[in-house]
Amino acid sequence: MNTHLFPTQEIGSLQKPSLEALREWEARVHFLSRLSHIPDEVLLHPDVGTLQNLRAAFAIAYLEAAGLDRVYDGEARRVEMYEYAVRQMTGFQFQGHVRSWDSKYYRKGTVVNRVDLTAPYHLEEFDFVQKHARAAIKLPITGPYTLADWSYDEYYLARQPGWKGRPQRRAAQQEFVVDLARRVLRPTLQRLIEHGCRVIQIDEPAAGTHPDEAPLVVEGFNEATQGLDAEFSMHICYSRYQDLLPALLEAKACRQWAWEFANRDADGHDGYEVLKLLREYSDTRSVGLGVLDVHRDTLETPELVAERVRRAAKYLGDPSKIWVNPDCGLRTRSLDVAYAKLEAMVAGAALARTGFENPRN
Amino acid sequence: MTTSPPIFAGLTSPFPRPERLIAATRDLDRGRTTPELAEKTFVEAETELLALEERLFTNVTAGYFRWNDLFRPIAETWGGFTVGPLTRWLETNTFFRQPILSSTPHRAAGAFAARLPPPLTSRAAVARVLLPGPYTFAKILENRSGDSELQTALTLGRLLGEEVRELHGSGFHVFQFSDPMLVTDPPEPPADESVVQAYRSISNAVPAATTIVWTFGAGAGPALPLLDRLPVSVVGIDLTDTEPETLRPGPERLGLGLGIIDPRTTLAESLDDTVGVVREALRRRPSASVWLGPGAPLDLLPARPAEQKLLRLSDVRHTLLREGVG
Repeated sequence: MNTHLFPTQEIGSLQKPSLEALREWEARVHFLSRLSHIPDEVLLHPDVGTLQNLRAAFAIAYLEAAGLDRVYDGEARRVEMYEYAVRQMTGFQFQGHVRSWDSKYYRKGTVVNRVDLTAPYHLEEFDFVQKHARAAIKLPITGPYTLADWSYDEYYLARQPGWKGRPQRRAAQQEFVVDLARRVLRPTLQRLIEHGCRVIQIDEPAAGTHPDEAPLVVEGFNEATQGLDAEFSMHICYSRYQDLLPALLEAKACRQWAWEFANRDADGHDGYEVLKLLREYSDTRSVGLGVLDVHRDTLETPELVAERVRRAAKYLGDPSKIWVNPDCGLRTRSLDVAYAKLEAMVAGAALARTGFENPRN
Repeated sequence: MTTSPPIFAGLTSPFPRPERLIAATRDLDRGRTTPELAEKTFVEAETELLALEERLFTNVTAGYFRWNDLFRPIAETWGGFTVGPLTRWLETNTFFRQPILSSTPHRAAGAFAARLPPPLTSRAAVARVLLPGPYTFAKILENRSGDSELQTALTLGRLLGEEVRELHGSGFHVFQFSDPMLVTDPPEPPADESVVQAYRSISNAVPAATTIVWTFGAGAGPALPLLDRLPVSVVGIDLTDTEPETLRPGPERLGLGLGIIDPRTTLAESLDDTVGVVREALRRRPSASVWLGPGAPLDLLPARPAEQKLLRLSDVRHTLLREGVG
């Protein structure tokens, strides 16, 4: 439990460093000392498992050195947030790459059979983080709605009779999301909790893609978390949050909204104004406040971060509800830029505390 | 005896890059290959797709593989524009660079034409030129020009008309304007009249050209009263999003574009179901001509399943030609 106002946290992935970059960063964040001794010859040519451990230990130390209150491993063991998760399941096939933008692509799976879990996942990585982190931990996991939305559906859609129009697609999607939530997410979350995981961020970046499906985002969240005891948050980014409200408020076990704001806080637009809606709906959950634009190298200053935090506190009417974080994962930024941004974020959060009575005390 | 309308078919968007082209563009980004080798892969991909299109369809595109998004060829070549931040493309997990309009736009002669797939130049008579529709274009850009959105739509319509005139002079005849926001976020009066005027600028530029407005992303039923007023040759709607029962008869002059291939799923469309829904649509809205194609952009799929869907699209056309639309 953080006793200071505006505690800081990460949101997700970091760039995966090369061996050379790891060597350079060792001098700055001293992550090797957290691991059992690794012989020099292994460090020169690590196998995949050792490299993943090195990267995970690095990310933990990196985030802690930047001063964050809650950390994880930068998703060092995951290809990315979709494919890694889908590869822990049965029922999917991959058919090739899809363009995300320009010359950036991702692999999108096709569900060809009813989804099922091969084995609960993220356990090994969580155990590693739990063993090596000194700060508090928050585990990110991709949510059922996003997994479904980012997949092609053959199995569930084929079960719908006749022409596959919008009503048939919607019915198939609902079946798909609920299956993912019940058969994949819930047993995985259950095991993570048994391993000691207390704070879990369910990532639903696809939630804003189809605003009229916000009730299905919530249904997936509720099905995944039903009967589980942990501190759940929901991360959504690049969305018009006003279009998702009030439907999202029905996510019963969600205790924090971790949203992106800084990206849209520019050129005269107030990116944080939408927070007023939470106050209007009398929503009492905390907010993971995105204060770093993860798509630009431009560094936010501590003063800008502090101003954003104070502005958000005013809109929410309660500064104790704010956690401070980047808009999203910092994977697209270099480690140098990401670190400088995180340092500015931590300094900005500290700056924002001045002048506030701390209601947490 | 009733006569069947002519049935055309073709791509309505860029085609997904084949895997080897994906590898080449990635390698180019990472400095692992040369621009010359990447260019060779582009040419091979264009040539192969063009051959397939010529075998299957009435119109060809050569894939528009080089375009990064629908707006970039204009945002990078017309005056007044710069290229802005990544922005989500409608309800998809793909992104475009938002054009930023800082002053009244103006075009540079020949600049857009130079962005067309090179093989189209020698197939101009059967090529389909893709362009952004003026309404969607005006809505998605960051407008710092000082002009209103409506004024900007009118200006864009005039400039798009100039592009059509120039390209028609080079032998191109078929121009498709992708304007999904006409159905996802339809204009209310009096803005709708500006949209009509913008399209009038386009059609007046070359009355003999075939102009297609292509919509997708939502049911077209509620927008049909406006779509029917547009002075274009063909109105295209996405049948995978539009309930056939929401269709109504339209002006006799208008052809009907039908999006019958769904790029949101790799599941192959059933031939019988697809032929059936086309017939149902034409029963409710008899049309002077029929233009079949994918509904939403086909580059939401990987290349291989997209190719399979092209074959199905061709099958549907040939079934309708053989057995009639009634």
